[in-house]
Amino acid sequence: MNPRARWHPWAMLGPSLAVLFVFFLLPMGVAAVESVFAWDLLTPPRFVGLDNYRSLMARGELPALLIRTTGYSLMVVAGTMALGLVLAVLLHRPGRFFAFVRASVFSAYVVSWVAVALLWMWMLDGNAGIAGRIVRALGGPPMALLGDRRTALPALAAIGVWKLTGYSMVVFLSGLESIPPLLLEAAALDGAGPFARFRHVTLPLLGPTAAFVATTSLATSFQAFDVVRIITQGGPARATELLVYAIYEEIFMNLRVGRASALTVVFFAMLFAVGLASLCLRRARTVS
Amino acid sequence: MTFWFAYGGRVRTVLLDLVEKFNAAQSQVTVRPVFQGDYFEALAKLRTALVAGVAPALSHVVLEVVPYLARAGVLEPLDDYEGARKLSLVPALAQPGSFAGAEREPLVSIPFNRSTPIAFLNARTFEDVGIAPPTSWDELAATAARLTRRDPTGEVRWGFEVPISWWYWVAMVGQAGGRLVEPSGRVTLGGDAGEKALAFWQRLVHRDRVMRPPPGRDYQAWQSTNESFLQGRIAMMWSSTAFVRYLEDTARFPVLAAPLPGDVRRSVPTGGSAFVLVRSAPDEEKRAAWDFVHWMCETEQTIEWSTRTGYMPVTTAAAAELSSRGWYARHPNDRVAFDQLAVADPWPWSPDLFRWEREVVEPRLEEAVLTGRDVRQTMDEAREDAARPA
Repeated sequence: MNPRARWHPWAMLGPSLAVLFVFFLLPMGVAAVESVFAWDLLTPPRFVGLDNYRSLMARGELPALLIRTTGYSLMVVAGTMALGLVLAVLLHRPGRFFAFVRASVFSAYVVSWVAVALLWMWMLDGNAGIAGRIVRALGGPPMALLGDRRTALPALAAIGVWKLTGYSMVVFLSGLESIPPLLLEAAALDGAGPFARFRHVTLPLLGPTAAFVATTSLATSFQAFDVVRIITQGGPARATELLVYAIYEEIFMNLRVGRASALTVVFFAMLFAVGLASLCLRRARTVS
Repeated sequence: MTFWFAYGGRVRTVLLDLVEKFNAAQSQVTVRPVFQGDYFEALAKLRTALVAGVAPALSHVVLEVVPYLARAGVLEPLDDYEGARKLSLVPALAQPGSFAGAEREPLVSIPFNRSTPIAFLNARTFEDVGIAPPTSWDELAATAARLTRRDPTGEVRWGFEVPISWWYWVAMVGQAGGRLVEPSGRVTLGGDAGEKALAFWQRLVHRDRVMRPPPGRDYQAWQSTNESFLQGRIAMMWSSTAFVRYLEDTARFPVLAAPLPGDVRRSVPTGGSAFVLVRSAPDEEKRAAWDFVHWMCETEQTIEWSTRTGYMPVTTAAAAELSSRGWYARHPNDRVAFDQLAVADPWPWSPDLFRWEREVVEPRLEEAVLTGRDVRQTMDEAREDAARPA
């Protein structure tokens, strides 16, 4: 279908473009400008060139932040995908019982992050948390997963996995639905056992679904904020300081608009690169 | 007139009671108290509200940020308000006494909830072990070692706990004979004393293994320390006098308050917050805010506020009245903080003070104590950052 006039598509796109411009591009531009100033909101801004970026690089602060955020994201993406796929395969059966279990798993996804964060904060509390009590009752050592800087980030990632798995399971279930039973039957007739059928039929056909789950959970996990804000505030000793939380802390706690803006610009560049890469990848695949 | 405040728990109840009393006592002004999170969250909101031009006429802010807000020109000078010069404030708690070098600054803050750090002891455990409150760092380490008990199951009763936080570190810097800013104006963050304080914490945690750094940041760590103390998991802690009443009423054991020990000398910072009026607020609201602040400084309210929480009375009249009523004889724990004012060191009146606290020192303390990082390197880095313009 061709437009009757050249401006028609633009008119259709207009409202979304306007929203995109006002709420995404414009603030991004403002952030880029502010990132070369030192400004505390109350006193006049001072031009500092690239100092904000330089100070983020000094002592490896920014690289550490990026590595930590990426590590968290990878743990969450890998965890949700693996667990989501396993659950989807196990629960892809008729019957009320399975429907109930599916709904239960998915329910975590519906709960707000704040509630989830509070819930887990209490369960994992070093003193009174039920997790620690169970371990102690079984004769294990006292533990404070969230208070130890080696375990705090994996613990947060595990909470993220718990929360997001329901979503990835549902998407995988719909992916399983779309696999024609004929193919599986044919494979069975050819003598393929359940594992071989899964490995050679189901898994390859779930490829696009998996790509979708990976992209969405990557985006979600990169924006992790609520859990950090509520459970650890970036501690202990910055072990759980993730990018978005660092931006929040710079601007609202330290009132460093410039540094926060510089971080935002870096964050944007990163997401842009990831988005571009996945787009190119998809194009390349479609062409081939 | 809207009033932003930053307390939870018991202190909040007491404040709301007082506000209600004020609203009922007169008909000209209605104070609408609005809770804004802890000190730091409330401050963040206040600063953004100031930029947006929607800040309320009255707030209270953590002491260390007053010089910064004063320099930014957002606080209302109070010298000319009616009765401002006749408040009979306790000298060490009034603005000129709380800050060194503030004598010539305009009056922009009125002390509200004021505290010093004090030690809280589980009196039952101390009695069982047969030991007296420590008066020096060495005694503190030895006492903590005697109080620490490890069960075969892995359960530990810790001898000592303190939030790894700027306020307590500053106390120890003073005790070790240091100061944040030298009289020459050079920012040393305590110099050797700053490192010594940090190294002492590291020793208690890693070498002596008699102290556990509490989990959580900022006031979460304070709260968790209080909880562990109340559960009997720690025998001795440093906390704020703000919690005297709460701890006494909640604990299932007798609670004993004691002054902080000294090292080469005795020293504590003062803490808590001060009332501030926002300069850009309408005159009428500022006058209303002042009426409330002035009313809060009257003897009756000061006494109610102090006795129901543990904060110090901010006027000499209220303090004298409490003494003559025999309050301190009946509640010796309430006296500890007030008596410590004799060794209280004022804060430097520096617009950078708050930045040193939040950005330069506080995050490094936690890192150094948890990871055992070299204290010299840590503090060198901190001094470098402190000297850099904001």
